[in-house]
Amino acid sequence: MKDILIPAKRVKKELAILLVCFIAAFLLNIYAIAKYATSWSEILGQLHIIVILSLVIYFIVAILRLILSGILKAFK
Amino acid sequence: MENNRKNRRDFIKEMSLIASSTAFLSSIPWLNAFAGENGKNVAASDRVRLGIIGVGSRGRALLLNLQEVNNVDIVAVCDNYEPNYQRAIKLTNGKANAYYDYRKMLDKEKLDGVVIATPLHEHAHITIDSLNAGLHVFCEKSMARTLEDCKRMADTHKATGKILQIGHQRLFNPVYLNALERVKAGEIGQITQVRAYWHRNNDWRRPVPSPELERKINWRLYKEYSAGLMTELASHQLQVANWFIDKVPTRVMGSGSNSYWKHGREVYDQVALVYDYDNGTRCIYDSLTSNKHYGLEEQIMGDKGTIEPEVNRIYSESIPKAPGIRQLVNNIEKGVFDVIPIGGASWVPETAVEYKGEMIAEYANNDTFLQMVGFVKAVKVGKPYKNLFREGFHSSIGVLLGLQAMDNNEIVSWPEKYILEKEV
Repeated sequence: MKDILIPAKRVKKELAILLVCFIAAFLLNIYAIAKYATSWSEILGQLHIIVILSLVIYFIVAILRLILSGILKAFK
Repeated sequence: MENNRKNRRDFIKEMSLIASSTAFLSSIPWLNAFAGENGKNVAASDRVRLGIIGVGSRGRALLLNLQEVNNVDIVAVCDNYEPNYQRAIKLTNGKANAYYDYRKMLDKEKLDGVVIATPLHEHAHITIDSLNAGLHVFCEKSMARTLEDCKRMADTHKATGKILQIGHQRLFNPVYLNALERVKAGEIGQITQVRAYWHRNNDWRRPVPSPELERKINWRLYKEYSAGLMTELASHQLQVANWFIDKVPTRVMGSGSNSYWKHGREVYDQVALVYDYDNGTRCIYDSLTSNKHYGLEEQIMGDKGTIEPEVNRIYSESIPKAPGIRQLVNNIEKGVFDVIPIGGASWVPETAVEYKGEMIAEYANNDTFLQMVGFVKAVKVGKPYKNLFREGFHSSIGVLLGLQAMDNNEIVSWPEKYILEKEV
C-alpha cells in the first residue's frame, strides 16, 4: 500500500482557505443580522451554524478548485 | 416503590410551587391545600378512613393512587361484580372489609368519606345516600345519567354541607394550572374559541364472559346507563373549556350519529357540537371512534396565542423570528431550488402555521394522584373547596344538554336552574 504524504505547506494552505471560509461565513452572519434586523447576540449565539456554513463553503470551494485543476491539466 | 414515593412527593412539591403564586390562589381555591406543602411524611395522626365503591378499571386506578397518599386508610371496598370484588380484596391485601352492597358498607363502617367509581347510572343514588349518611364523597365524572339526578346530587351536597368532588383531574394538573395562569396574565389575549376533540379508533366494547353480563360490562354502549361519548369523554373537555373561558355556556347545538360501529351499540359513535357563551365565545367539540390520527386536545385560542394543554404547548400569534443567518440561508435556498411559477393560482393556501411553540411548564404529571391528595386534604379539614364542585356540575349538565340537542335536533338553551353562581 502506498503512503500518501501531505506536505506541511499544503496543510497550511488548506487551513488558510478554511480560515478564509470561516471569516466569510462570519461576515455573512453579520450581514444577515443587519439585513433581517435580528439580535446582535446572534454573532456568538449562531457560531455553530457559522462553523457548519464555513465547512460547506470550504467544500464548495474544494470542488471548484478540483474542476479548475482538471481543466488546467487538460490544457497542459 | 421508594422511587415511586419520591416521585409522588415531587408531584406535591410542584403543586406547592404553583400554589405559591398568591395572585393565582384566589382564582383556584383548591390550590390552597397545596400551599406550603413540602411533600414529606407528616405524623400519622388524623388519618382519613375511606371506602371505595366500584373497583372496575377506574376504581382500581383511584384505589392505587389513594394507597400512595399519606394518612389514608382504605378500610372498605365494594363491588357487586365478583371479579372486581375479588380484585379489590387482593389490592388491599385483605386489609379492607369487602362488600357487595354499598348500603351495608355505609351502615357497618365508620368512614370519613367514599370514593365512587361505579357505572354512570349508579352515581346519583350512591352519592346521595352517602352524603345523607354524613360522608364526604369523591364521585367520578360525569356526575349522573340525567339532568334531574345531577340537580339532586347538587342539592344534597348543598343541604348536607359535605364535600362532593367530581373527578375532573385536569383541575389538579400542573400543566393546565400553569396554562390557566398564563391565560390570566393575558399571554394569549382574549379567548375567542376553544376547539376540543377526542378521537379514538376502537368500539369501546369489552370482552364479556357470558351474554347476560353484556349490559353490565359494556354499560357505556347503552343509553339506559350512559350518554356515551358525551359523559365519558366530552365531560372532561367541556370542563376545561368552561374553566378557561370562565363562563357557563348559554346554549348548545349538535349532531350525533352511528356511522361506523354496527354492533348493537345504542350511543352515538361520533358527535359534533357547538357551545355558545354570552360573550360570543364558542366551544366547538367533536368526538370520533373510527379514526385516532388527531387523538385528543383542547385548543384554547386567543387573539395573541393558542394553548394546547394536552401536548403541553403554547404558541404565540407573533412567531419569534428565526436567526438572521438561517433566514439568509433559507432565502438563498428558495432562490436556487424553488419552482418559478409561470401561471396558475394567484394565492398561497393558508395551511397551518409551522411553528412548534414553547412548552407550557416542565412538570411531571400525575393529575389523578394530585386530585386524590386534594380530596383527602379537604376531608381532613371537613370543608369543600370553593367553586370546585361547580366545575364538575356545569360540565355534567353541559354534556347532557348537548345530548338533548343531538337527540331532539334542536338548539338547547341552558336553563337558569342549572347554573351555580361562583362563591366568593
